[in-house]
Amino acid sequence: MMNGSAPSLAADETVPLLCLEGVSFSHGSHEVLHDISMRLQRGALTTLLGPSGSGKTTLLQILGGHLKPFRGTVWLDGTDATHLPPESRGLGLVHQHLALFPHLTVERNVSFGLEVRGKPIAFALEKARATLQLVDLPSDTWTRRPDSLSGGQRQRVAIARALAFGPRALLLDEPFTALDRGLRQRLGGELKRIQRETGVTTLLVTHDQEEALALSDSLVALREGRLVQAGPPAELYQRPRDPWLAGFLGEANLITRGGFLRAEAGECLLVRPEELVPGDQPDSGDYRLQGPVRNVVFRGADSLVTFEAAGLVWKMALAGTEVPRPGEIMKAILPATAGWNVTRGCRP
Amino acid sequence: MRSTRSNAWLAGPALALVALLVVPSMVLLVRLSLCQPAYGVGFYRADSFTWENFTRLLSPEFAPLIGFTCLFGLAVMAGVLPLAWLLAWPLRASGGGRLMIGLLVLLAPRLAGMLAPLVALRLLLPRGVVSAWLAEVFLITPYAALVLLVHLRGIDWTVLAAARGLGARDWQVWSRVGLPLAWPGLWLVGQLALGWGLGAFLGPDILGGPIGRTLATDLHHQAFDNSRWPLAAAEGVLLLVLVGAVYLIRPFGLTRENHP
Repeated sequence: MMNGSAPSLAADETVPLLCLEGVSFSHGSHEVLHDISMRLQRGALTTLLGPSGSGKTTLLQILGGHLKPFRGTVWLDGTDATHLPPESRGLGLVHQHLALFPHLTVERNVSFGLEVRGKPIAFALEKARATLQLVDLPSDTWTRRPDSLSGGQRQRVAIARALAFGPRALLLDEPFTALDRGLRQRLGGELKRIQRETGVTTLLVTHDQEEALALSDSLVALREGRLVQAGPPAELYQRPRDPWLAGFLGEANLITRGGFLRAEAGECLLVRPEELVPGDQPDSGDYRLQGPVRNVVFRGADSLVTFEAAGLVWKMALAGTEVPRPGEIMKAILPATAGWNVTRGCRP
Repeated sequence: MRSTRSNAWLAGPALALVALLVVPSMVLLVRLSLCQPAYGVGFYRADSFTWENFTRLLSPEFAPLIGFTCLFGLAVMAGVLPLAWLLAWPLRASGGGRLMIGLLVLLAPRLAGMLAPLVALRLLLPRGVVSAWLAEVFLITPYAALVLLVHLRGIDWTVLAAARGLGARDWQVWSRVGLPLAWPGLWLVGQLALGWGLGAFLGPDILGGPIGRTLATDLHHQAFDNSRWPLAAAEGVLLLVLVGAVYLIRPFGLTRENHP
């Protein structure tokens, strides 16, 4: 089904399954994506992370073949697939609103991809049922219509439908957005399990940084249609190359005033709240921070304490029950080994 | 349960109108259809009772008229369905200005009223069955397209893209997803057009000529030219039965999975 005359890089395991080269896309005069280059490694779960309007869904639509890039090339298995229609790409796409077929039963939804490929109905249904078992959907729902299922069950059907025909890769467009936090976390874990069991290359689009950090083998951050940084989640969290990304991935103390951790004025220094430790006996080279507490937010496992010290506002994660109240004096230590110089891209 | 009750309340005024105006008329019509003809003295014989009008109506004498009426209704339906689809489909996902312009285009022919376009068609076309058919298709298509448009706009059409993404070719997308989802709306439009076609009067009367007679035009002829009110009433009852039967048929395929 692939374009035989298209240039081919190679067709082996060392070639990335999906690769974008200099992809740009515009809606009229508004540039949605600008010169995006990225690659999906085989068998990995990659997350495309960015705020609303950053171009994530557009990028996914381009990968899926539903949109044509204005510029650039889409490589699929080492072959130029830029102009390949969606039905010839063999990618399983889970849409944001799931787009389940309302007139078909759950198992016929899941067997759809096999049926349209001409597989016998008995084989398609057998495969569909096996996939529904894989996604842990109760068998009493298989002959029901999607509109009679709960939100979580519908998500499972959508994932099963995208998996059943044996796609080259699984593309998921914010599939858990409409669910409550608990269900989102549980289904995220399920997705990770399914991805590990099947080994299918997966691209998950999300704006939820917690979800991205928890699930991904690799993370691609997107902002206003531009790729900010790509790499393992821990690298992006601890060593971001962009102040915006540092703040987007979690609570952050972003210090642009010189004098701390050998950072010069104008340079951006990142200190995560968990890097600050309570106490007032700093070791040599550490910084002692002391000042009034502005605000305390209880987060379950810990509390986020906001306090003023050294002319700056600091956020600090405090576990345990002995948390100061607003107005009390907070004493904390900024270790000399903490922090990340975002501007220089190095440790202090 | 609650929504059923509120729907019943919403339908209340319409039901009241039906009870006050339509039901008594239908009772009178049925009663009249069971009266003996007056045989030249008045329009019917009051206090009489006979099945004569129905036995005559169902005799071979009227078979060509009833057959033609049914065929004419089916032909109107066949003409309306594709036209309504062509008009409604492009507007299924349009919004704002494009939808407004589309609706104006859709309804513009009907804004001129019913008779004016027919007179125009009368001037343009020769009298005959085809002209009568064209007129009836012209009259009902905007309404049919509106009904279909309302149905199509209630469907989440991202399923078409989803089907393509799952490997379906264009014809498979259409036959396995697009058509089954549009089916209830198409069925409704078919019923509307068939019901309209069975009761067609204006088109056949103005443009049909002598060979384009339907039950409705014959009813008019029997009532006002021949003064046979009971027979005309029996034709009216037959028309009501035919149209009612069309509207009562359950959409085929709505509860089963659709496969090509």
